[in-house]
Amino acid sequence: MSETGVRDSLDELKTAAKSSIAEASSLSELADIETTYLGRKGQLTQLLRGVGELPPEERPTFGRLVNEARAGLEQALADRRAALAETEGAQRLRAEALDVTLPGRFYTVGRQHPLSATMDRIKRIFLGLGYEIVDSPEIERYHYNFESLNYPEEHPAMDEQMSFYVTDDLLLRTQTTAVQARIMESRQPPLRICTMGRCYRSDEVDATHSHTFHQVDCFAVDEDITFADLKGTLYNFAREMFGPDTQVRFRPDYFPFVEPGAEVAITCVICGGEGCGVCKSTGWLELGGAGMIHPNVFRQVGIDPEQYSGFAFGLGIDRMPMMMYRIDDLRLFLENDIRFLRQV
Amino acid sequence: MKLSVEWLKEFVGFDCSIDELAKSLTMAGLEVEDIVTYSPDELARLGGGREGPSGPVFDVKVTPNRGDWLSVIGVAREAAAILATKLTVSEATAEGAPPPTSSAIEVTIVAPDLCRRYAAGLVRNVTIKESPDWLRNRLIMAGMRPINNIVDITNYVMIEYGQPLHAFDYHLLRGAEIIVRRAAPEEVMATIDGQQRELSSDMLMIADRDRAVAVAGVMGGADTEVAETTRDVLIESANFDPVSIRRTSKTLGLTTESSYRFERAVDPSITVAALKRAAELMRDLADGEIAEGVVDAYPAEIQPLTIELRPERANKLLGWNIEPCEMAQLLQLLGMSVRLNNPLQVTVPTFRSDITEEIDLIEEIARLHGFDKIETTLPESPSQGRECEVNLFEDRLRQLLLRCGAQEVMTHSIVDSSLVERTGLAERVVHIRNPLREDLSRLRVMLIPGLLETLSRNAAFGAKDLAIFEIGRVYHYGRDGLIAQNRSVAGALIGSQWAGAWNLDRSALEADFYLCKGVVDALLDSLEIREREYTAAQSPLLHPTRSAVVRSGGAEIGILGEVEASVRESFDLRGRPYVFELDFETLRFQAGRRRVYRPVARYPAIYRDLSVVVDEDRPYAEVRNAISEAGGEWIERVELREVYTGRPLSPGQKSLLLSLAFRSVERTLTDQIVNDQMARIKDRLTAELSAAIRGAE
Ligand SMILES: [Zn+2]
Repeated sequence: MSETGVRDSLDELKTAAKSSIAEASSLSELADIETTYLGRKGQLTQLLRGVGELPPEERPTFGRLVNEARAGLEQALADRRAALAETEGAQRLRAEALDVTLPGRFYTVGRQHPLSATMDRIKRIFLGLGYEIVDSPEIERYHYNFESLNYPEEHPAMDEQMSFYVTDDLLLRTQTTAVQARIMESRQPPLRICTMGRCYRSDEVDATHSHTFHQVDCFAVDEDITFADLKGTLYNFAREMFGPDTQVRFRPDYFPFVEPGAEVAITCVICGGEGCGVCKSTGWLELGGAGMIHPNVFRQVGIDPEQYSGFAFGLGIDRMPMMMYRIDDLRLFLENDIRFLRQV
Repeated sequence: MKLSVEWLKEFVGFDCSIDELAKSLTMAGLEVEDIVTYSPDELARLGGGREGPSGPVFDVKVTPNRGDWLSVIGVAREAAAILATKLTVSEATAEGAPPPTSSAIEVTIVAPDLCRRYAAGLVRNVTIKESPDWLRNRLIMAGMRPINNIVDITNYVMIEYGQPLHAFDYHLLRGAEIIVRRAAPEEVMATIDGQQRELSSDMLMIADRDRAVAVAGVMGGADTEVAETTRDVLIESANFDPVSIRRTSKTLGLTTESSYRFERAVDPSITVAALKRAAELMRDLADGEIAEGVVDAYPAEIQPLTIELRPERANKLLGWNIEPCEMAQLLQLLGMSVRLNNPLQVTVPTFRSDITEEIDLIEEIARLHGFDKIETTLPESPSQGRECEVNLFEDRLRQLLLRCGAQEVMTHSIVDSSLVERTGLAERVVHIRNPLREDLSRLRVMLIPGLLETLSRNAAFGAKDLAIFEIGRVYHYGRDGLIAQNRSVAGALIGSQWAGAWNLDRSALEADFYLCKGVVDALLDSLEIREREYTAAQSPLLHPTRSAVVRSGGAEIGILGEVEASVRESFDLRGRPYVFELDFETLRFQAGRRRVYRPVARYPAIYRDLSVVVDEDRPYAEVRNAISEAGGEWIERVELREVYTGRPLSPGQKSLLLSLAFRSVERTLTDQIVNDQMARIKDRLTAELSAAIRGAE
C-alpha cells in the first residue's frame, strides 16, 4: 500500500467515525462506536497494524498521524458521552418527577389543649422563680376552703364563692387558695408554693362565666416578704407570660385571707392600654387577686405573724388564653370543638 | 350601689372631673363600675319630675367588708379622704313638741345579743302624698321606686346615711309597746310584700304587745304598714346583728336593701342621727309634727377602738419607707384620731367596724397612699423550683399520647346523670347536694363518657375521624366510704387516623380494636410496663366480645375496646368508636423508674419464619408464650405477620404466620443451634396446643 492510500483511508475512517459519534443517540450506541474504531479489533487499531507495509522512513510520520486521529476520536467520544449523559439524566429525572403540590400523607397529629398548654407555661415561669409545684384536691373540706382562709362564719364575702356541697363538710373548692393551710400546717417557712387546677362556683354558664374554671395560686412565706416582693413577682410573671411591655396594676380589693388585698390587672393585650371593646375601654384586664397573707391565716396554722410574713395571689387561668388568642367565649374550652382546638 | 353625683356633692366639694373622681375612688378600692347619665325626660318617664336633679350616676361596687360605703355620706367621706378635702354633714336637730315620744311608746330589747340599739321617734299628723321631684329623682337614680312621701323618706335616709329605717303606722301598733325578741315557735307573720312568712326561733322580730310586726332588719309587717289613712308615724332606727340578719334573710329567701346593709354592719353611732333626719324630712315634706325626744334603747354603748400601729412594722411589710407623721396624716384623713407616740395610738371611728387590728391600719395607709408608690422587688428563693411527682407523671403521659397523634381534650367534671349511669358504677358516684340544675348534679366517675360526648359533638360538626385523649380527675366513693379523686387517663378513636390518604388503603389506619390496643401498648412500653396481660373485660360501656381488661403485676390497669352498640347509639355516633381508660395511680405505681442499659448484641441474628395452624379460639398469647418459653435464651423477637382463616384451612382453624429472630450476645449462633430451637418450639406447639406446623421453614 502506498502512503497516499493509507492516508486516504485514515481520513475516511476519521470522517466516518466522527459522523457516527455525532449521530449516536445513546450511551450504549456510543460504547459500540468506541469498540468499532478504537477497540482491540477496531478499525483504527487495524490501520495501525498496517504500518509495517509502509517504507521505514514513512512509518514514524504515519504513526504520529494515527495517534493524533486516535486522540481526536477519544476527545470526540468523551464530549459526546458527556452530552448524552446530561440528556439521559434529564430524561430520567423527568420521568421520576412528582407533583410536589399534592398533599402529604401522615397520621393526624393532635395538639395539647390550650388550657393545659397555658398551665405548662405558667409552671415554667414559677419553677424558674424557685416555686415548688404541689398537687391539691378539688373536693375540699369546708375548713380549708373557708375557715382557714379567715372567712368569718356567715359573711357576705362568701356570696362571691357560692359553693357546690357534697356533704356538710365537703365541697368543690371555690379557689385553689384552699391549699395554703394544708401546706402551712405541715411545713415550716421558708415556703414558695404554687398549685393550679380546677375550681367550681355555683354560677350559670355564659360566654364569660362558668361553674367550672381554672386557677393558679402561689404563696411565699419567709422572714422578710414584702408587698414590694408581691408586686415584683407578679410583674415578672406578667412580662414572661404576656410580653415585655406588659404593665401591671394593683388596685385595693378585699379577700379575707390577705391584707392589704389587691386586684391585679395587666395592660390590655389587645389595645395595649389604649382602651377597646375587650377591656371595656379601661385599658386593663383583670387577672386575679393578691395580697399579704392575713395574720389570722398564720395564727390558725401556728406560724408566728410577727416572725414571718408572706404574700399570696390567685389568678384565673382561663382568661389567659382568652386574652392571648382573643377568644370571646369561655365555653369553647370545655366543649372541645376540634375546629377550635386545632387553632390554638 | 347607685348614687347620683349631685347628691354626693352635697357632702363633698371637688374640682376634678367626674371621670377623675371615679378613677380615684376606683384606685382606692371603691370601684366605680359604670357611670350612667339621666336626663330630666328620662327621669320623668320613670316617675320622677322635670324640676328635680338629673345627671350622672355612679354605680359603685362595694366590697363585703365595707358596709360603711353603702351610703351617699359613706362614699362622700371616702372621696373627701382621697381628695384631702372636707366632708360636710349637717346634723339634724329635729326639735319636737310635747307630748314626748317616750309617753307614746315603750321599747324593750329582749334579745340584746341580736339588737345592739333600738331607737324610736314619733311624727304626728302627717299627710301621705307624693314626694317632691328632687326626692323622687334621687331615689330613682339610686335605683329605687318612689311610693309615697313617708316610705320614700325612710328609703332616702337609708341611702343617704346607710341606716335602714322602718315606718310603722303608730295607731296599728297594739299596747304602745315595741318588743325586740326572737320569734316564738311556729309564729307566722305577713310581710308587706303580701307573703305569709313562717318564722323560726333564731329569727329576730319586732313585736308589739300582741304579735310580731316586722322581721327585724329584713322587712316590715303588712298589719302595721303605712297607708293613705296613716296619721301618726313611728320611725324605727335600729342596729341589728349582721350574722343574725344574714341567716334570717337566707332562711326566708328574702334579701332587701335593709338586710343587705345590716349584713355588712351598720354604724351604731348614727342610729339617732338618721332617725332625726327622717323626722325632719317628714316635718318638711309630710307636714308632720315631730314629737319631743326619741326613745333610744342602747344597752351597751359601743366605744371606738384604739389600736397600736408600729410604723416600722408597716414599712417593713409594705417594703417602703414613710414617716410616722405621714402615716398619721393619712389615717386622720380617714376620720381616725392619732396620738403620735411610738407606736402610734390610733382611735378608729365606729363606722369602721372592719378595722380591728394593726394590719387593718397598715392596709389603710397603703390603700390611701397608693399601691403604685410601692416599688417592685423580686424575693430570692431559698431553693430551686420543683415540680411534684404527680404532675411530672401526668406530663409524661400527655407527651406520650400526643406522640401517638391524639388531640388533648378537657371535659367537664360536673356531668349529667345519664353520663354516669352507663358506667356501671352508679352507686359509687359522688353527688352534688345543691346543683345548679338536676342535670348538673353528678361528678364524673370515668372519663370515657365525656370523650364519647366530645366525639358526638364533633361528628355533628362533620369531624368524623378523630383520636382524642384526656387526663383528668374522676371521683367516686371508695369501699372505705371516703371519696377518691385520683386522675384517670382515657382515649377515644373513631374513623381514619390518616391526615390524608389519597391512593392508599384507608382501612390501614382505620380505628379498630387493635389500633386502640396499639396506643395502649405504646403507652405501656414507654412506661416500661412490660409484663401485661389482656383478658376479656366486663364493662357495660364496651362490646362484650371486643373488649379487654389489661393487668400488670396482678393489678388492673384499665380497660379498652369497642364501645357497646346501645351506648354508641345513645351518643348518636354512627361509626364504631374505640376507647381505653387507664388508672393513673396504678400506672404511676407500675411505671419503671430507672432504666438500666443492656449491651446491644454485636453478633448477627438468624431469622426463621414459622406458620402455625391452631383452633380459631386459641388466644394468640398462648402461642406466643409457648414459643418464647420453648425458644430459650436466644429468642430475641417473635413478630406476628399474618392471621388467616379460610380455605384451604378447615373451618374453625386459623393460621398464624410468625417471624422469629434468634441472637446471642456472646457469640454467633450456628444454623444447627437455631434448627434445634425451632424443633423444640414446634414440638411444644404440637404437643401443648395441638398445633399443626405448615410447610418447611
Ligand atoms: Zn383593650
